[in-house]
Parts: sequence; C-alpha cells; structure tokens
Amino acid sequence: MISLILKRSAFLEQNHLFKPQFCFQLLSSLTQSQSYNSSPSSQNHSVLPSGYGYLGKKNSGCSSSSLQRLEIPPGILCNGRFYGSQSQTAIEPSTSDGLTVDGIIANNWTILDEDESDWKSHASAIAQSIHLIKKRLKWKNLLVRVRMLSFQLDKPDLWDDPIQASKISREHGLLTGKMNEVKKFEQELLEHIDMIKLSHEENDPELELEAVKALIQMRRSVKEKELEALLVEEHDSCSCFIEVQAGAGGTESMDWASMVMQMYKKWAQRRGYRVTVVDEMPGEIAGIKRATIRVDGENAFGYAKAEDGAHRLVRCSPFDSANRRHTSFAAVAVIPILGEGLSHYHIKESDLRIERFRSGGAGGQHANTTDSAVRITHIPTGITATCQNERSQHSNKASAMAVLQSRLDKLEMARQAQMNAQHTQSLAENTFGNQIRSYVLHPYRMVKDHRTNYKVSNADSVLEGDIDDFILSYLSASLDKDEDEL
Amino acid sequence: MRVSSVRASLSSRLKPILPNQPLKFSNISSAPTPVKLQTPLFLNPADYRATLSDLKKWHLWARGLASSVGTKFLDLDNGPDSALLHRELNWLIEDSLQDPIALLSDNSDDSLVVPLRACLDDLYMLWKQRIEGRRPFQYLVGCEHWRDLVLSVQEGVLIPRPETELIVDFVSDVTKENEVLREGLWADLGTGSGALAVGIGRILGSCGGVIATDLSPVSVAVASYNVQRYSLQDRVAIKQGSWFEPLKDDEGKFAGIVSNPPYIPSEDIGRLQAEVGRHEPKLALDGGADGMDDLLHICNGAASMLRPGGFFALETNGEKQSNFLVDSIGSQSEGRFCDVKVASDFAGIKRFVTGYRAG
Repeated sequence: MISLILKRSAFLEQNHLFKPQFCFQLLSSLTQSQSYNSSPSSQNHSVLPSGYGYLGKKNSGCSSSSLQRLEIPPGILCNGRFYGSQSQTAIEPSTSDGLTVDGIIANNWTILDEDESDWKSHASAIAQSIHLIKKRLKWKNLLVRVRMLSFQLDKPDLWDDPIQASKISREHGLLTGKMNEVKKFEQELLEHIDMIKLSHEENDPELELEAVKALIQMRRSVKEKELEALLVEEHDSCSCFIEVQAGAGGTESMDWASMVMQMYKKWAQRRGYRVTVVDEMPGEIAGIKRATIRVDGENAFGYAKAEDGAHRLVRCSPFDSANRRHTSFAAVAVIPILGEGLSHYHIKESDLRIERFRSGGAGGQHANTTDSAVRITHIPTGITATCQNERSQHSNKASAMAVLQSRLDKLEMARQAQMNAQHTQSLAENTFGNQIRSYVLHPYRMVKDHRTNYKVSNADSVLEGDIDDFILSYLSASLDKDEDEL
Repeated sequence: MRVSSVRASLSSRLKPILPNQPLKFSNISSAPTPVKLQTPLFLNPADYRATLSDLKKWHLWARGLASSVGTKFLDLDNGPDSALLHRELNWLIEDSLQDPIALLSDNSDDSLVVPLRACLDDLYMLWKQRIEGRRPFQYLVGCEHWRDLVLSVQEGVLIPRPETELIVDFVSDVTKENEVLREGLWADLGTGSGALAVGIGRILGSCGGVIATDLSPVSVAVASYNVQRYSLQDRVAIKQGSWFEPLKDDEGKFAGIVSNPPYIPSEDIGRLQAEVGRHEPKLALDGGADGMDDLLHICNGAASMLRPGGFFALETNGEKQSNFLVDSIGSQSEGRFCDVKVASDFAGIKRFVTGYRAG
C-alpha cells in the first residue's frame, strides 16, 4: 500500500515538475545528450564540468519558481496521499478508456513473435520491457534521487562550490534524461493503443495497420533499451584499466594469465574500444606475471566490471612434460578511470616516491636505452603503479600516475562503500578466492560462470574474446535478482 | 619595466640569427657546412607498399632476431635485452606503418596491401643494423620521444637521455613563482638535439626566450629543425659556437643557464655500451681526464653570464662529480652562488647540481 502511494506521489510530482516546464525539459535533455553521449569514441570527461555548470545554472534558474512551489522535504513522501488521492487518474498516464501500463502487464496478454500482428501481444511485450527497464533503473530510488538533486540545484548557495555544483547538475541531467525517456515510452505506448482502438472503431484498416507497425517498431527499440539500462551505476560510462595477475603455479599459470589478457584485448577491439598496454611483466619462459591494459571507450567499465574476480583454467599443460592435467588461476581487476575533477582521492606530491623501474649501471650519457620505465609508490598506502610501454620517461610517469590515481580512487570508493552496506556486495574483494568463471579445456570443453551458471561449450570462441553473453547475463542477473517492486 | 626591457633585448638578440626563410633540409643558413637532415621515419609519407604476408614475414624474422639476443648484450655492456628489443620492434612498426593494427592483429587478410613509410628492404636493413650493428634505435627511426616531445635525432647528435628530462622540471618549478625567471633570457649550452631548449622554451612566459649553443654543425641544424617543428622560432634561437662564446653580447643578462655537457672521463670512453661508444658523437660525451673539464668551464662562466638571482642546472656523471662541483663552487667562487644543491635522478643517482647566482 505504502509503495503504491509512494509511486503515485512520485508520479504526481514528476508531472508537476516537468510537464509544464518546457525550458526545463529542454535543458535537461540538452544536459542529457552531452553526458550520455552514445557515440563510443567521443567521451570526454574532462571537458564536462564547465559545460554542465553553465547548463545547471540556467537550469536551476528558470525552473526555480516551480521548484519552490513544490518544495517538499524528502520525508514528506509518506504523506503523498494528499496529492495522490486528489488527482490520481489525471496523473497516471492512461489510454482514453483508462488502460495504464501497469494495467497492460496485469492483463497478462500472451506475448507472441514480432511477426504476429496481434497488437495486444506487442503492447504486452513493450509493457514488460518498460517494467524491466524501470526495475534496472531502480525506478523508485531514481525518482527520489532526482527530486533530491532538484532541491540541491535550487539552493541559492549552490555555486559557492562550482565543482560540487557541476557534479550535481550533471547527475541531475543524466537521471532526468533516463527518467523522461521511460515516461516517453509509456506515453508513446498508450498513444499507439489509443490510435489502434480508434482506427478500429472508425473502421480504418489502413490507419490501424500503421499504428500496429509503429508498435512493432517501438517493441524493438524498447528491447534495445533494456540492455542499455544495465549500465546504471555511477562510473559505468567510464573508460577503465583491466589488470591480470597470474596465480601460483609457474609457467602454466603465467601462460593462462596471458590468454586471459588476450581475451580482453580481443573483446575490447571487437567492441571498438581503444586498447593500450600500460604495464607488462613477462614470465621467464612464457606468458605474463601480470599486465595492465587501458581500455578507452563509452561504457568500457560498465561492461568490463563484470569480469572482476578469479578465472580458473583446467587443461593438460603444454609446459608439463608428462602432459598432466593442471588447474591454474588468473586474477582480474577492473578499475574505472574517473574523469578529471571526479577523483575521489587527492594525491599529495610529497607522498610519492618515483623511481626508474629497471635501473642499472651509470646511466646518463653512459647508457643509451629506450627503456624509461617508472615506478611510482604512494608511500602512505604502499600502492604502486608501473608503466614501461611509453616511449619517454615523462609519458611513462604520466601513465603510471593515471593507474595510481585509479587504484587509489578504487580503494577510496571501497572504503566509502564499506560505510554504506548497500554497496559492499557489488564491490566484492578481488582475491583468488573470489572465483567467478571456469574454463575447462580437458577432458571436455566448457566455460561456465559460477555467478550466473551461464555456460557455453565453445571455449575457443570465448578465449577469442566472445564474452559479451557472459557479461550481459551477469549484469542482468545482478540487477534483476531483486524481486522488489521497481 | 624590467620584463619589457628583457623582451626588447631578447628580440634584438634573437633576430639576426633566426633564419629568414623556412629551413631547407639540405641548406641550413646558420650552418657553415651543409648538413643533410634526416627526416624522422614517422614523418615520411607512406609512399611504399607491401603485402601483409610479406610484412608478416619480416615481422617474424625481426622477432626471431630480437629473441636470439637474450641477455647477451645486457651481460656484455649493459645493452638491451630481448624484451626491450621486442618493444623497440613494436615502436619501429608504429613509426613505419600507417595502420599498425593490421600487422599486430591476426585476423587480417594476408593479401592486403599495406602502405609503409619505408620500403620493406629498408626495414630489413634497419633491424639488422639494430641487432648486428648495435645502431641506436633512435637513429633508426630518426627520433626520440622525450618528455611530451618527439625530437628529431640523427648520427652526429647526442640522443637526449631520460634523466635530462628532469632539468625541465627544475626550470618549471623555479619559474612558476618567479616572474623575472619566467620572462627572462635562458641559455642551453651544448644543446645537441635542442631538447632542453625546446622543453624550456615551451614553459617560459610570453616574454621569455632561450639561446642555445652547440659547436657541432649537425647539432645546430637538427636543433633548429626541432625548434621549427614546435614553432618556437620566436623564442628559441640556436647559435653555433663553443659554450658561452656566441653569448658574449648578453653577459650578465641571463635569467638561467642549463647544460648537459660531456662528462664521461676519457678513460671510460673505450668501455661504453656499444650503442653509445660506436655510434654517438664523442664530442658530446668525452669530458676530459676526470670528465670535469666542461662542467668546470661552465661553472666559471656562469658566474659572469647570469644576472643576480639567476638560476643554473647542470647534469653530471653522478655523486662524485656533483659533490666535487659543489665543493669547487663553494671554495673558488667566493659567495658568487647561493642555494647550491645536488639533486638525484629517478634511479637515485646524484645527477644534478642546481643553484642561484647570488643577488
């Protein structure tokens, strides 16, 4: 009951807030299109804050009157009955004969294939998709969050802290964009149904066919949105580092580590991401002891984060003269690269120790080497970062600093998450104990994810980078497992 | 007031020696003998063609050659090991191919014709020179990545070392808070490829400038080319001559002096790593009996060349030379310098001496 009221009041408020506010809507969609840029290569976090600042300022400025009118502290949600009971039908979008999106779901119409022309089947499929998207977006939380951000945007002292302000306005733009998109879908669905019913009554088969077609089209686009809605966490859109470390077991496990790294390089290339090797420590005979790559592109972290954990290989080792069966592990860590100004951890220059990584001999004019690898140690935490693949010491240092910054950010996020129990689950400790997937090459061939039980028998294609299905099944499983209402 | 006068003097100093016409590769106006400039490989047009399968053959051969080295050179004279050579091979590919991904990914069509910046025969020859002749990688590709710069280098010019990058950091630190230094006239003595001059030219203020000197005509030509590549002709001038000689007109006016002079003791020259001893110019390496000849000469000159409060940073062979230099400045220069310090490179070697002209 309470949840129903909550939902209604939230709806009510959203409508009041946004519907009549054209300029507000326009601005938030502007903000949204910048921050949620769908082109994979054009993501640039570092330029965002100032742009958002401007939009945010305008944003809060022109909507302030309506926000003030609706200034309700978050706690008042429970008293939303007042609004909800008054104009319930006017608020929840529905068709002319009172059918709502929830109503469509409740009708339980059979969902048939796309090529069937039964409109109820399409409507039902779309309603299900919208429901799933809302669930993945944690709809209820989203509405509350948007409302909270709106209040903060409206505070007169907002711009005393421009960094914080642009952060707020950016998040607000992003979330309202997502919210409005879903609402647009609901509206669109009901409009199509209205049109179908109307044309049916008017006996206009041509128009009816048009409307059904539009519904089919919508069914497809909403289905695509389902996947996009998997990436809803704060840093999902970021680029990332992927680190692979060989477990115990010598050459066999070092070879496995390099196979895992190869898998990610190929996966990233397939997705159109840019891959740069930052750090690589080769094994004595074969493979790698550890390696770090940088993966640049939209949503790289959102997808790759599903790979965080230990990966287990079972095969007959080519490095074992007796060709016995071996089990080896490789640990994978995925770290988001937060944009400038978004870092959680401030590094003090005086806390750093910078060293040539492999230095020997007199150096200087005595030595001509293209090796300018640098290791940076953050003394207070003992965390280190190395880069050796750049062609100048300066670039190696800059690259290692980026790795160090991201590692410290991750540490800081984990620390903050520990204080917030809700998030600890998603940031599971990356140890060899956290085994997420097995790759069996002998005596049978199978790759199985232990978190989702998703498995395929074509192990070779997985090792060639075909891991999208594993990633998507994990992301949807972790988002959709909560049976809670939206 | 002070700054504008520096600017006036600077532009008059810079003017006569700036080339009036764009530099021609075979004809450098400031060099007495014509120097043939080698264009860095990565700047060449991709006018050559090879099939991917031929290129892969070369790649396989080159990798085999790199692997065969093992730690042989490392054990012999602290030269490159296989891992480093493999990395250099990737960079050679990076510089000579328009689309390096084609070669490095294995699902491309072998009959594909790939555009190259050097012909395939040259690639064979270059890599052979690298492994069998120990020719420095930077001469192979005609450039060295140094700080955030890509500098042209060729035989006859010392390849700038990673350690030397730190001198630019020192200058960046001291100019940040000090306008007189930031907007002043700097000297880079024995500039070689022009690395320090270009690096410092890019961090000085709008009124600041650098005059760099070198005895070698090849260095003057290459450094001038690098200055042009970074469009710094207005603020960095390259002059040919020994140490302070071309700077006599500006005695006492310099806000800063930097130098990486030859500092290897003569007796060590015969035992150098093959890449250095066999290929790099002795002129830029041999610092006399104890390696201190040029460092001491520069220290002596700096006292009269620097304005009061001016800054200097010198690279040395290490702890022994650095300490010696600090001592000799203390005993012989009688309070003409202050705040004289030794600074370490990233390998922990006491590599640099920095200080100020007493005000």
